[in-house]
Amino acid sequence: MNQTNDKTAFLNAGKTLLRKEDRRLLTGHGRFTDDIHVVGELHACFVRSTYPHAKISALNTAEASAAPGVITIVTAEDLSEWTTTLRLAPPIEGLLPIEMTALPKDKVRFYGDLIACVIATDRYLAEDAAELVIVEYEPLEAVTGMFAAMEEDAPLVDEELGSNMISHQSFETKSIQKIMKAADRIVESTFATARQTHLPIETRGCIAEWDEGSQHLTMHIGNQAPHPFRSVLAGRLKLRESQVTIVVPDVGGGFGQKIALYREELIVAALARHLKRPVRWREDRMENMLASSHAREDFARTRAAVDSNGRIIGLMLELIEDFGAYCFYPANYLARVVAMILTGPYDIGEYAYDVKVVLTNKCGNGPMRAPMAITSWIMDGTIDNIARELELDPVQVRRLNMLADSAYPHTMATGETMEDINPGTALEKGLESIDYKNFRKRQLDDRTRGVYRGIGICSVVESTTYGSKFYKAAGIPGSGHECAWVKVDPSGEVRASAGVMSTGQGYETAFSQAVAEGLGVDPKDVAIKLGNTDVAPYGMGSRGARGATAGGGTVYLAAAAVREKALAIAAKLLGLNSADHLSIQEGRVCWFFDGKIQETELTLSDIARTAYLDPTSLPDGMEPGLEVTKAYDPPPMTYSNSCHFCEVVVEVNSGIVKIERYLVVENCGNVLSTQIVEGQQLGAISMGLSGSMFEHMIYDESGYNQTGLLSEYMMATASELPEIEIISVATPNRRTPIGLKGMAEGGVMGSIGAVSNAVSDALAPFSVVIDSHPISPLSLRQKLRKSH
Amino acid sequence: MSKTAFRLNVNGQDYEVLVEPRKLLSDVIRDDIGLTGTHVGCEHGVCGACTVLIEGKPQRSCLVFAIQARGQSIRTIEDVADENGDYSTLQQMLHEEHGLQCGFCTPGIVLTMEAFLKSNPDPSEEEIREALSGNLCRCTGYQNIVKAVQKTILRGHEEDKEIASL
Ligand code: FES
Ligand code: FES
Repeated sequence: MNQTNDKTAFLNAGKTLLRKEDRRLLTGHGRFTDDIHVVGELHACFVRSTYPHAKISALNTAEASAAPGVITIVTAEDLSEWTTTLRLAPPIEGLLPIEMTALPKDKVRFYGDLIACVIATDRYLAEDAAELVIVEYEPLEAVTGMFAAMEEDAPLVDEELGSNMISHQSFETKSIQKIMKAADRIVESTFATARQTHLPIETRGCIAEWDEGSQHLTMHIGNQAPHPFRSVLAGRLKLRESQVTIVVPDVGGGFGQKIALYREELIVAALARHLKRPVRWREDRMENMLASSHAREDFARTRAAVDSNGRIIGLMLELIEDFGAYCFYPANYLARVVAMILTGPYDIGEYAYDVKVVLTNKCGNGPMRAPMAITSWIMDGTIDNIARELELDPVQVRRLNMLADSAYPHTMATGETMEDINPGTALEKGLESIDYKNFRKRQLDDRTRGVYRGIGICSVVESTTYGSKFYKAAGIPGSGHECAWVKVDPSGEVRASAGVMSTGQGYETAFSQAVAEGLGVDPKDVAIKLGNTDVAPYGMGSRGARGATAGGGTVYLAAAAVREKALAIAAKLLGLNSADHLSIQEGRVCWFFDGKIQETELTLSDIARTAYLDPTSLPDGMEPGLEVTKAYDPPPMTYSNSCHFCEVVVEVNSGIVKIERYLVVENCGNVLSTQIVEGQQLGAISMGLSGSMFEHMIYDESGYNQTGLLSEYMMATASELPEIEIISVATPNRRTPIGLKGMAEGGVMGSIGAVSNAVSDALAPFSVVIDSHPISPLSLRQKLRKSH
Repeated sequence: MSKTAFRLNVNGQDYEVLVEPRKLLSDVIRDDIGLTGTHVGCEHGVCGACTVLIEGKPQRSCLVFAIQARGQSIRTIEDVADENGDYSTLQQMLHEEHGLQCGFCTPGIVLTMEAFLKSNPDPSEEEIREALSGNLCRCTGYQNIVKAVQKTILRGHEEDKEIASL
């Protein structure tokens, strides 16, 4: 590994390489799950609950079973024979264990919950028959809000738990209570994100093939973490893991929605095996909106003890998350991270948190790009509130509380250590670029003309690439390691694979650059093979912004190990005592001495040929072949940082927010592929803006989802999103390969905070503070009306 | 429901299909004709991923029954690059500007924008964004798509100049 991680030391990492994936995707020759067909395939369609919470008193499938094309209709009872119950019971303090069957047995928990599965010869016929299944319900009262869910006599989502509060965790430093009591001034702030959904443009879907001869299941599915998915699927089907292959084709976006094994997928696989016929399923958009996975819906309250200058001397966080009706993940996992990293770039030694996660009669939650999205809004929103209450400039309050860049590594009150970040530089650089000095004057001038302009700033310290040590320390189950192999074939061709799976992030391109860097070849000559669990090594998959550092980093380490072996062979072939002065560049062995580089006769192909076909010419004791498999467990946490600046004008009559400028200063370390990293940042910022300004999964009081159609759930289009300017102030991480860091989620964190703070700043004359999302024109008009 | 046989003209080629009259054009193009570049993202006319050109006009193939497109010429993403596989200018610019990530929305966007640029060769950024607003993309934030369209226009102007100077 390069010791200094100095950017200039890398030849291939950090360059723009036009994406290798593009040709097939641009010409209509991508291969997504639903493009795959298998001879003899059957089609699945699910019968879903039309009640938010109800007992299933009777289920009549007679008429549906007789409908044209129907092969079978299966219910909870059938599936309990073929599948095991999922039990999520990690030994975590404050978290209740929970169980889930393939289909609910006697009651449905949300509008869109599963009841039965119809298998027919054609998708249209399966849908027809599903409509003929008669379900008799005994409606139960639904609990649809997080506060209602915590009330003593609230209806229970899961009777087994005896409570709707599935997780409750807290922490406090020694003196925080004393400090809060003694404080002259406490500033209280609240923040609420709306319920959202991931909305990959490709919905979920899968094709399961059972090979009766070899007793083997092949599952084609768009999934971010194929190996962990295989483990769970095999377990729940009572198969050995070697009997299951997961094949992930092109994936039309995931954003966290395509990680877990969902019940539909389990059922499709179980039916393929039972019927000994291939079964396919494509989720329609309404199912995706109603019943796939939701996210966010957090409520947070901070209480900050401050001195008269705005210095924070103690901070308390109360956080509640509405997790919906089912848990495909340990329920504490998302909210917990928010609480752990809240204080981020600020020097806050005394801190306490109390985090509750509750179940309600809504679709279950899962991690969505930046599960900890609300963090930076809470923190920088709190700072803005302090500034407002004390009538100070918000930048001044930031500067006063922010750790100096020289203070890193710094350990937060929660024990989390941040290193190699520069929030101070990012803030100052952004202030200068956006001309903050003159902004306040412009703002005042505009106000006299009735134009309400505001600026929002949000500093982000983004937790990325969670290592195994973090999971252990945070009480979250999971491993953070990743695995990769790199092989040079006898022909000299280079292939590589890793356990992560791309859902659009361009891994084929970025990982080629990682191999090129490690091995010394042209990235164009590297083939990346991902997504097939029989080919790829067992890895933990793509989540938590770990693709580059864990995935690409491990690929790089494996490639570097291959190079080492290749050079040892080269030294022998060239009659040298050691490989010290040899390197490989663009596939050719070079000899460098006295600052000069000289090409030798030898190429990587020559070395590969020797390694495979002439092993007796290898150095003594060396294994034939030229391939290496490596596993790598990244540091507990690899922190990136950024500072977001959003300038808005709010039309106070209509409540419409116009983003006039958006600028972000980023430090995500050294990168593999510049263009791809920028693409990720643009995508993340856009998702955050769309989420905070427009998106809202709406349930009415009785628990009916009002946003089952894409036309009812507002997602930002090209007309609403601004042009985003990106400035880089990167510093490499000292411990990761190539100095890489993650970065695909911080954009969500920062944009949520920046736009919210900007609108509050614009509406300061009306004393309107944004404390909930979405910041829709309607909600703004209501707030403005109240302020009069 | 009984099936009906009819002929569809897709990318200049005639296809004989035998399908139920209720079958959507998107499904017939994908499943019966086997051109899977046309993607289905919502099936209710909102996302734009299924956009094809019918008689040169962008249409959502999930809102049309295949039988309704009988006798009309349909063009899909597979026909945008030329027979040698060379990109159209717009495809080339999307590639260079990183205008796609997962690529699921891309076919619909390419066809929508190809048609848009034909009818409006010199649009402003606002007009481009407006024209693009019927296509949802969850990955890119649209910025690089807009850039690619702008570069396509610039390239067109350069070519015009070259022709004029001949
Ligand atoms: S699939 Fe036709 S518009 Fe979405
Ligand atoms: S590139 Fe993924 S939806 Fe547009």
